[in-house]
Amino acid sequence: MSAGEQVLSVSGLRTVFAARGGAVTAVRDVDLDVSPGEKVGIVGESGSGKSALALSILGLIEPPGRVVGGSVRLNGQELVGLGDRELGNVRGRDIGIVFQDPLTSLNPVKKIGTQLYEAIRRHHPRLRKHEVRRRALELLHDVEISSPERRLDDFPHHYSGGMRQRVLIAIALANRPAVLIADEPTTALDTTTQAHVLWLLDRLVTEHGTAVILITHNLGVVAEFCDSVHVMYAGRFVESASTPALFANQIHPYTEALLGSILRPDRLEEGPLAAIPGAPPDLADLPPGCPFEPRCAFGNGREICQTVRPEPVTLTGILHGSSEVECHFAEERAARGELAAERT
Amino acid sequence: MTARIFGRVAGSIGALFGASVLAFVFLRLAPSDPARLIVGEFAPEEAVEAQRRALGLHENIVVQYYRYMRDFLTGDWGFSYSTGTPVSSAIEARLPATIELSLYAFVLAFAAALILALLATYRRRPVVDGALRTVSFIGLGTPPFWLGLLLLVTLSGTGLFPGPEGRLQPDVAAPPNVTSLYTVDAVLAGQWHTLGDALWHMTLPAITLGLVPFAFLVRLLRANLLEVAREPFITFARSKGLSRWTAFRRHALPNAILPTVTAGGLVFAHLLAGSVLVERVFAWPGVGSLVVGGILQQDFAVVQAFILLGAASYVAMNAVVDVLYSAIDPRTRGGQGLQG
Repeated sequence: MSAGEQVLSVSGLRTVFAARGGAVTAVRDVDLDVSPGEKVGIVGESGSGKSALALSILGLIEPPGRVVGGSVRLNGQELVGLGDRELGNVRGRDIGIVFQDPLTSLNPVKKIGTQLYEAIRRHHPRLRKHEVRRRALELLHDVEISSPERRLDDFPHHYSGGMRQRVLIAIALANRPAVLIADEPTTALDTTTQAHVLWLLDRLVTEHGTAVILITHNLGVVAEFCDSVHVMYAGRFVESASTPALFANQIHPYTEALLGSILRPDRLEEGPLAAIPGAPPDLADLPPGCPFEPRCAFGNGREICQTVRPEPVTLTGILHGSSEVECHFAEERAARGELAAERT
Repeated sequence: MTARIFGRVAGSIGALFGASVLAFVFLRLAPSDPARLIVGEFAPEEAVEAQRRALGLHENIVVQYYRYMRDFLTGDWGFSYSTGTPVSSAIEARLPATIELSLYAFVLAFAAALILALLATYRRRPVVDGALRTVSFIGLGTPPFWLGLLLLVTLSGTGLFPGPEGRLQPDVAAPPNVTSLYTVDAVLAGQWHTLGDALWHMTLPAITLGLVPFAFLVRLLRANLLEVAREPFITFARSKGLSRWTAFRRHALPNAILPTVTAGGLVFAHLLAGSVLVERVFAWPGVGSLVVGGILQQDFAVVQAFILLGAASYVAMNAVVDVLYSAIDPRTRGGQGLQG
């Protein structure tokens, strides 16, 4: 795909956090392309660098963190290296973000209306007061807040968690951005509310043709919502594929382990749920080989895994398309998958 | 809610009662005889006894307390023999000077604390932050009277600031009396020279009096700002396109200033207690120096009235702070909505 088709094109993005005793590289040379209207999922454990990636794209990494390299092009405009003011012109207009925790993402001492108006006014300074208000009402109506006229003057603590999350979505979409980053938007909500918020988000972005980057650790949400998936581990995408291809193949051992740790009713009889042994690696001190090697059931201590960092391999002709995987044994594992597919 | 108000009122009355009893008992325990002081060292014993009767000192202490409180509540605060006037008029004459000084000390302390706390937290500036913490630490540990003397020796000694000569230079007349606050009156009368002189005289005492509240406020504000700045709603506000400063000003600053309102009572107490010594050092003709004089000359009535008024205004101040806080913080207002 040429860069011209992409609404967002990230390449070689690298984010480092200065820490006591060395630097922690939270995002390691990540490439990410998003087409208009595409829904891209990023999955991974806590600490895999998902949120750091989201904040790096928006230029909202705070010290001691810093984007040290790479490029982020939004609608062809380079964002890395822009000043606070220029970035401010882009944020909220061309790209919006929804955070995980709806309780702490709204200022508790400001009215919901004020926090909405602010998002609209920043990019439409000429709008009159009643026009801003009308737009805010539309937005609240869009996210299904009932009797919005009455609720504009409420404070966040008058809203339920699900309502607050919907307000965040309304604010993020206030100026019809081309890209929306949703960082674990449903994690803090209970299951029924989760489903509703996700459904609502899906409807809104489909209506407006907004591209979405959905960051989550919930593969079920990805399966339901996303066109393509990137599996993130230790600051890298270790497997990238379309959603059907990923769920069919799981070429990287980490992806396989991640899927194996999901509760599935049809596999209850196979015994206790598999957990991935060990913990994510220390980002300040990555092993010289594959970062997943110490926890990998497949690699099992092979020398190449311990000493050589795997390069991305593009696999074509696998079930449901193609995949890009960072594993020394990607081809071998892909072939194994094909055999399995032929058998069935 | 009614129970809460009732509890607060009862608590306030209790505190005032306690303060009045303590003040009364301690001063009566002082090993001196006010009657003797009034009639003079060489007066005959009969005259002292007569004076004692006139003052009511021959009664037992409970009766004395009852009489004193009854008179106090009806506006009769006793007679100050050290100034030769009723206590109420002595205090009334001195109060404006104290109020004016405290007001400037507070404004100075709050403004300086706010600016410095902002400078230290708005961006990561480890050096500024470290310096500020050191200053605040030293400020909290510096006795105001000592700082006052230091400033007098170093700054007024070189002629930059006036010495301990009160509110105005001897040859400058007080502005026409409207509010009794010289700076305000000078502005009202358009006497700019008098205004400048009043401000000039107030600078060192205000710095001295304001140092402890400043050190206290700067700590509080710095901690609040750092905490609020880390909140996700600041990042979210910036994701709307607000600049760092706008997000900070609109979302961090109000939230961080809010809790300092509750510290108002404490600051007020500092100003009240500090004024006693600071006014003495700078010969500031306020209530503080009146009280110091009262203590030195064993003028019970003045000291008692000061303690009682101080306690009463402290209690009132805290009540005001309570009301103010619930008025400005929406979270403490009633009306619970959906939660979940």
